[in-house]
Amino acid sequence: MTNSKIGTVEAIMLILTIIVTHTILSLPREMTVAAKSAAILNLIFVSIIAIIISYFIVKMLRNFAGQDIIDISEFLGGKFFKNIIGIIFILYFLVTSSILLRNFAESLKIINYPMTNVIFILSLFIVALCCANRLAFNASLKTNLLVLPFVLASMIFLFFANMNKFMPERIFPIFGDGLINTFVLGLSNISSFSGIVFLYFLPPFLKEPEKLKKIALISVGISSIYLILCVSTLLFMFSFFITTNEITPLYNATRYIEFGNFFQRLESIFLLVWILAFACYLSIISKFSMSIFQKLTKIETKKPLIDIFAFLILGISLIPKDYSISSNFETNIYPYLALGIVFFLGISILVLANLQKRKQNMGIKNSNN
Amino acid sequence: MNKLVRNIFIFILIIVFIMAFSNSYLSLSIDNLAYILAIGIDKADENNLLVTFQFSTTTQANEAGTAEKAPAIINSVKASSISSAINLLNGYVGKQLNMSHCKIIIFSEEFALDGISEEVYTLINDTQVRPSANIVISKCPAKDYIENTSPELENLISKYYEIFTNSSQYTGFTADSTIGKFFNNLICTTYQPTAILGGLTSDNLSDESNSDYNKNYNIKSNTAPIEGENGSENIGIAAFHRDKIVGELDALESIAFLTLNNNINRFLVSIPDPINSGRNLDIYLSPKNSPSVKVDTSSSSPFINVSLDFSGQIYSMSDNSEYLKPEVLDTISESCKQYLETLFLNYLYKTSKELKSDINGLGKYALKNFFNTQEFDSYNWHKNYQNAFFKVDINSIVKSGMLITDT
Repeated sequence: MTNSKIGTVEAIMLILTIIVTHTILSLPREMTVAAKSAAILNLIFVSIIAIIISYFIVKMLRNFAGQDIIDISEFLGGKFFKNIIGIIFILYFLVTSSILLRNFAESLKIINYPMTNVIFILSLFIVALCCANRLAFNASLKTNLLVLPFVLASMIFLFFANMNKFMPERIFPIFGDGLINTFVLGLSNISSFSGIVFLYFLPPFLKEPEKLKKIALISVGISSIYLILCVSTLLFMFSFFITTNEITPLYNATRYIEFGNFFQRLESIFLLVWILAFACYLSIISKFSMSIFQKLTKIETKKPLIDIFAFLILGISLIPKDYSISSNFETNIYPYLALGIVFFLGISILVLANLQKRKQNMGIKNSNN
Repeated sequence: MNKLVRNIFIFILIIVFIMAFSNSYLSLSIDNLAYILAIGIDKADENNLLVTFQFSTTTQANEAGTAEKAPAIINSVKASSISSAINLLNGYVGKQLNMSHCKIIIFSEEFALDGISEEVYTLINDTQVRPSANIVISKCPAKDYIENTSPELENLISKYYEIFTNSSQYTGFTADSTIGKFFNNLICTTYQPTAILGGLTSDNLSDESNSDYNKNYNIKSNTAPIEGENGSENIGIAAFHRDKIVGELDALESIAFLTLNNNINRFLVSIPDPINSGRNLDIYLSPKNSPSVKVDTSSSSPFINVSLDFSGQIYSMSDNSEYLKPEVLDTISESCKQYLETLFLNYLYKTSKELKSDINGLGKYALKNFFNTQEFDSYNWHKNYQNAFFKVDINSIVKSGMLITDT
């Protein structure tokens, strides 16, 4: 049992995985386009709110020690409500990861495999997913623990290696498209912190559940710094992301790294690290989806679910007819889906469950008196 | 039995993946590729382009084992676009043209007058083209530029293309303009693009054209007084407004351009000698800090104040020189300051009034004067830059001579 428990550092990396995979694709660009020159200011503002929200979530989860959001939904609305919430979260995980996978595979096809059908690139990830999920629950988490520091380090390297091409004046005009765009409409950028969705599911898996607060605050803090590095790289380097849409903007930034005439073309190393990070992300997402499904259906073993979930991800990723549709989903639908499910639905359940618990406690107190 | 089925499944899976990815591998296999080193784009008849490709060739080793220069392989094709030209040549050479080693893209000046945005967009859209590929605007046809480029000191032309812009760091006669920078500046709201100005080495210059070059470095490609076997030369900078060429900078103006962009380590200027009138002093100058630029946008005529710090060393030497005396050095510093002030003011007014193009991106220093982007957009920086006034403050300290201080 202790083998399936998650350590504090593993849990932090788990939350970071979602942000990392989104930044590889279009997330930093979307943030830059939304807030223009105020992107960093907006990000700092949004980060503060994300830290407050995650603190709030942890505080509300404290009343339900060792329970995840599925158990809490059962407490709040019974079995039926629990099933609905479980299905919503499974669909959220599967759909978002599948579309993200499709976008990443399309980018790989354009960059490296022009003559290969995208289904084979997708299948490579699915094979990796099937293999990883056959291992113990925290095997993927431990792999993620090894891979993610490389991704974080690669982003720091990307920032410093391109520093000589930066134009810090691009931070002005300080309020970008205006105060309302930066601080009111820009609030939607909080969807970038959708990785905190794992906070809802972590309590039963943690080796030290009392450290959930630490996990939440550190992971959101690192996510903020990581996002600021990514957005700054794009904002200070390029003027064209505001008007021109490029696939994988950070990949474009890696192409500019040069140290004299000898060290050039380092983008392949970045791609390799990102592919590994993506495989870890898929494995983690499918493992959590399976454990929710297991909880809903009370199936004893996950083994029969492994291939089914892997093929579900493959199937959903093949639904978009072309890259424009999957890219449109990622830029226009995903942020609102994350806002709705991770922030609105999740927090609403926690608030209502806490109110109900307080009512219950008061009822018990009154009957005792 | 179960294990056997699993192994068969894994074997089939491996075969399927090998087959699926082999097409991509074959298309990128070195046997099937022809590597382009340079692309030249000229105007042809009936809205067509004349696209010239220079291919990499292997060096030949002679009996003594030393490498010999291999003859350049150059092919030209008339087509309606770059992509059509590449496609046509793919069929002709029997290999797929690959631009991942393309180091230089040359546009003829005639072509650049009509705008080059379509070609730049197409090239930047190609995953093979590196953002570090240089852009050259050739004063002669691009085809002639490629045909005549024959570096004397390099056996490999690809090596020459890779390093020829390095001299900008210590001469300032040209800039390291790349397609990545060009594309970035093309879309930027505060910058205008620039490119390297190229041309042919002219062996029959008239006396008038080079009468003053020795004093002032007022030279540019196609008019430089250089004789040699290199064939082509790259001196000066081509200035653009949006995607159209609007003018040229000579060697001295290129120094000013690079200094304001903080892209130069040191340069040599020839200033009037304040001690011996009628003679010139050559001084090596190094910018001490990045330029300090303040822009006042309170009216529609922006006032731009540029402050530059230099330290210098006297390079030319004659008899009766006393380069350790503080009063002599002060006099030379003052002369140097006046010379540089005139140089930078003339350069800045040229970009504003003659070229009407903010190629140094001074607009970026104005950004902080605005609260939001709408305010900056409504100020219309690029239009108002034409009404700009400039003030240049130079702080130059000429420290000493080099090895000899007194004669």
